[in-house]
Formats: sequence, C-alpha cells, structure tokens
Amino acid sequence: MNQIPVTVLTGYLGAGKTTLLNRILTEQHGKKYAVVVNEFGEIGIDNDLVVNADEEVFEMNNGCICCTVRGDLIRILGGLMKRQGSFDGILIETTGLADPAPVAQTFFVDEDVRRRTWLDSIVTVVDARHVVQRLEDSHEALEQIAFADVILLNKTDLVSADELAQVERRIRSINATAIIHRTQRCEVDLAAVLGRRAFDLDRILAIEPNFLSEDDHEHDDAVKSVCLRTDRPLDGARLTGWLQRMLAERGQDLLRTKGILSIAGQDKQFVVQAVHMLMEGNFTKPWDPNENRESRLVFIGRNIDGTELRQQFDACIA
Amino acid sequence: MSSSAEQGTKSLLDRIGTKRMLHAYVVGVAFLEGGVLAAALGDGRVAFIGSENANAPRFVSVHDGVCLSLAVDLGGERVLTGGDDGRLVSTDTAGETTAISAIDGRWVEPIAVSMASGLRAAGFGKTVCLFARDGSAVGTFVHPNTVGGLAFDPKGRRLATAHYGGASLWWAKAGGQQPKRLAWSGSHLSLTLSPDGKDIVTAMQENELHGWRVSDGADMRMSGYPAKVRSMSWLPKGRFLATSGAEPVVCWPFHGKGGPMGKAPLDLGWGVDGVVTVVAAHPRHDVVAAGYEDGATILVQIDRPHPVLVKQPGEGAVTALAWSADGQHLALGTESGFIGRVRLSDWRAPT
Ligand SMILES: [Zn+2]
Ligand SMILES: [Zn+2]
Repeated sequence: MNQIPVTVLTGYLGAGKTTLLNRILTEQHGKKYAVVVNEFGEIGIDNDLVVNADEEVFEMNNGCICCTVRGDLIRILGGLMKRQGSFDGILIETTGLADPAPVAQTFFVDEDVRRRTWLDSIVTVVDARHVVQRLEDSHEALEQIAFADVILLNKTDLVSADELAQVERRIRSINATAIIHRTQRCEVDLAAVLGRRAFDLDRILAIEPNFLSEDDHEHDDAVKSVCLRTDRPLDGARLTGWLQRMLAERGQDLLRTKGILSIAGQDKQFVVQAVHMLMEGNFTKPWDPNENRESRLVFIGRNIDGTELRQQFDACIA
Repeated sequence: MSSSAEQGTKSLLDRIGTKRMLHAYVVGVAFLEGGVLAAALGDGRVAFIGSENANAPRFVSVHDGVCLSLAVDLGGERVLTGGDDGRLVSTDTAGETTAISAIDGRWVEPIAVSMASGLRAAGFGKTVCLFARDGSAVGTFVHPNTVGGLAFDPKGRRLATAHYGGASLWWAKAGGQQPKRLAWSGSHLSLTLSPDGKDIVTAMQENELHGWRVSDGADMRMSGYPAKVRSMSWLPKGRFLATSGAEPVVCWPFHGKGGPMGKAPLDLGWGVDGVVTVVAAHPRHDVVAAGYEDGATILVQIDRPHPVLVKQPGEGAVTALAWSADGQHLALGTESGFIGRVRLSDWRAPT
C-alpha cells in the first residue's frame, strides 16, 4: 500500500487559511485531496472527501504533558486509508487556536499512521498586519510559527515595506528554517506549498544562519532558533546520547529539532527530527563525495541557550 | 520447487476453498442465515456472495464513502453497516436498504447488535444511540470523548463503551442515568465483553489491553504487544481471549480464579512470520483463525501450537475474518479486496 503525503495547515484566525484551502480544492492541479477540517461549512465547495475533525487531544500514557496526540486524527486517517486510490494527498486544517504539536506528534507516535502516511509539511498562514501583536498575546500563534516548514506571510499589501521587513525578521528569529513566501490573498504557486517533502529537511543545508541579530529583544516566552554546524564528523554514540538526554530533559521546551548530520565512519547522512521529546533518526542518502560534509542541527524552542548548546554539540565531534 | 514441497504447503483455500477479488478494502465479513456471505467494502458497497461459487456476487451501494463497520442485523438475514457518510443502514440480500439513522458530518464506526434484546447500538462520535427492531431511537448516551468501541452484555440489557480515559457501562433501557465509569488513563480504541458478561476488555493506543471485572471494577493489564491490538475474540465459554497485535496469536486465560492476572498468555501459531492483524475464534471448538499483515491466514488449536495454513501470503493484510454460526464455514477478507471462503465440514485437523 502506498504512503500518502499529508500537509498540515495552521494559522491564526483571519490570517487567510480558508482562502488557501479553497484555492487548493478548486484550482486545477491534477491532484485530489482529502480534507480534514475543524468546522464544516467554512470551506465553500462541495467535496465528498471533506471530513469533520473533533480535535481530540489525548495525553499518552507516559505521564508527560507535552506527549500528546490527536486521537480523532488517528481514527480519521485509518478510515481514509480504506478508500484506496481515491485521492492523492491529505490536508489537515487545524483551528486558529490549536497547538500544532499534537498533530505533528501523531505522525511520530502512531504506527498505523506512520505506515500509511508521511507528514509532508506544516504550512502556517500568517497575517502580516497582526502577527506581531498576535505573538505578544497568543501562545498558539507562536507555536504555529515555530512548527512551520512553510510560512505564507499573507496580506503583505496591507503593510509598508519597512513593517514587512520587521515582521519577517521577527518570524525568522523564532523559526530559522521555514521557507517564507510573501503573499497577498494567499496567491502563491501551490507547488510551493504542497508536495514539499519539507519534513525531509534537505533544505536545512541551504539555511543561512547569520540572520539572528544580537539585539533582538527577548520576550517572556521567547521562542527562538539555535542553529549549530560543523565541518568535522561527529561521534555517533555521543551525539545520539546527547540528543536523547536533551530531549528527555528539555523536550517540553524544545518544540522542533531537525538536523542533517555527518557521522564519523558513515557514508550516509544521519537525519534527525523531533517534536518535543519524540525523536526519529535515520541514515538516509549517501553524502555526495564531492560535497563538503557539513553537519547542521537546528533547535527551535523556549529557554534555549545557544552558547551552552554549541559547547555540548562540539563535545560530540569525533 | 518440487511438487511434494508445494503439496506440503498447499493451503485449505487452494484445496477446498473459493476465492474472489472485489478490488476494494474489505472492512468486515459476516455469514447470514442461509449461508450467504456479506462483505462490507471500503468503496461504500456491501457484497453478498451466495454459497454457489458460480453465481456472481450482488453488490449494493450502501454508503456514500466508506463502510466503516459491519454486523449481522436482527433476525440474522440482513447486515447492519456504519459509514463515513454518517448513516447507519440495514441491508438485505436482495439489495433493499433501510437507513436507520443519519447524522451529517459524523462517522458511524462502532456498532453492535443484540439478538437477545432486539437492540442495535451505534456510535456517532461522542454519542451512542440505541435503536429498536422497528428502527426507532430508544436511547442516547453521551460521552466526554469519541466512542471507539461498544458491546452489549449477553442479555442485551447493558451496553459497554470504550473511550479516552476508560470505559462506561450503561443500562440499555434507562433514561437519565449516570453510567458506571471504569477509569484507566489513556485512549481505549475498541472493546469486548466476555460471553458471561463478567469481564470487559479494551484495546488501547499504547499497544496493550486493559480489562475490568464488572462486579468490583478490578483492573487487569495485559501488555507486551509490539503492535496495536485491533482484533479480539472469545473462545467458547470465554475460557480464552484470542488477540491480534503480536507474532504468535496471544490467548489470555480467563477461566480460573483471577482471570489472566499473574498468568502467562498462550502463544499459538509459532512458525508463521509477521504480525497477526485479525483473529476469530471458532464458535464451538478451541480453534482460532488468525490473519496476518502479509495476507497469510491460519487455523490453530489451543492445545496444538502448530497451525494449519488456510491462505498463503499475498493480497495485502488480512482485515476481516468470520465463522458461520455453526462453525462449518470460514471467510476472510484483505485490504486489497480478496475474499476467501472455506467449508470445513469435511475437514479434520491433522492429529
Ligand atoms: Zn513529553
Ligand atoms: Zn513575548
């Protein structure tokens, strides 16, 4: 049975998420999507593959408050998989007030979901006018940006060029690795949003990490990115030991962790990704013998200290 | 390959069975009165397959979407199905459908029928509705979370439901009641009641079972599964509970004092690779049919761990298994739409 790609669509109320959803469902792109929505009737078109979700967030039995999954989603994805071959992908819309972690963690935790689907990307629609204010008063708005693989910075026509640059800088300070598209009315090539394999993390290698300016003001609940890199190979055992310890101890503060790492004595790239304390690490494709085997690791989270992480990362160099 | 080796591994299905390919996920199979086999499919249809192989199946479009569940309806001559179109439908072998209930935007997944009390139960998300023989709604039970599984007690007077945080036990015919809550943290996905009605067992998100003794609410934990337990089936008189979710067929002893507590389960079916996806216990004998993720299907006896091959691997994971009421016919279905049927009346297990 083929694995189906899943795109998660998040965004604060009024940012333009429904506009994007309607575009994906009405435009001719040769693909059919099953859509999991939280409110029927919000999308204006008739599609027999629209499913209403309850957003039932369940704690897992390990007693940890950050280890949650979407119970309704596990059920819905199981049901959709019985409609063989009738769609090419799945879109999951979350409410504006939803924390994306339980959705993302569902794809780590549930074996049936993992076997049948893969999380292609988390797309967050952001209102350029209001996002800075939202970030001050909404925990969820912050998490939605922190979790994103792709960000549509929407309604750019309603702000000045200076304001836009400022907004983008603020977003970047939270999430260093997301691809940002500036849009009006969510007008973006849908190929930039769908079928990205963003969770594969290849593009971390393309990130320019020097954008974080030192004078960014710190917020009480500041979420930021720390990007680490090295040209020297890493000791596999030390690295995984450190990551496991980090995620077990600090997992509630660490929203997302992603990395492509060069392990001493290994020809293949070691790709790591985590949501809170749930981690997945695999050797994937071989390093190109002509390329520089540069390891990159990004932490997005709260209360994280770049200097301390850098020291611990360096201690893993073989 | 030598012909003797082929002979040695020839399955019951190849020797004495019939096969069909329906090209849609088989959600459930069930035998009706008169030997007709019903299969609920992932394309919303129900197929009725007569006992004569020469006749083509009768397909009935029942749900606009997916059939999510299948049960033999009251009287034994119709099927009851729930769908992702929010409908609960009773269908007869002539193709006539009767919608018992429809709630737009809801999935109807867990369903149960009590021949003893003449009631049907169906879960519409967090709400479970009871329907009498004439289709009238005779009860509504609201839960804090979506109900994943439900079952009647043997007399059909009580209804047990599984949900996040535990199970609930309701009186089928009382209004305005508070259910008996059986609490256990975690997500409870499906539920079964022992044939004597004394024990409730749920399958959990965390690859384990949880049980309660109804009389005093005592907890029973049954863990150690590598995969989710998607299927549970009681052997005759409820002596063992056969389960999927592991490489062997795991059977928990419920006879004797304390039920399965402090006892090791019986592991049956050694020598077959892969995870068991469905189990169905024979209605009269200590025999379990088990289907695997690779499509293989076996029969295994409680005191004989070596299995008899019913179906070779292939055609995708086994998703449905059912015995006829007399235990003479076994049917199976797979995720790719394969249906197999074996008549066992002349067959004897090798001794
Ligand atoms: Zn946690
Ligand atoms: Zn702040």
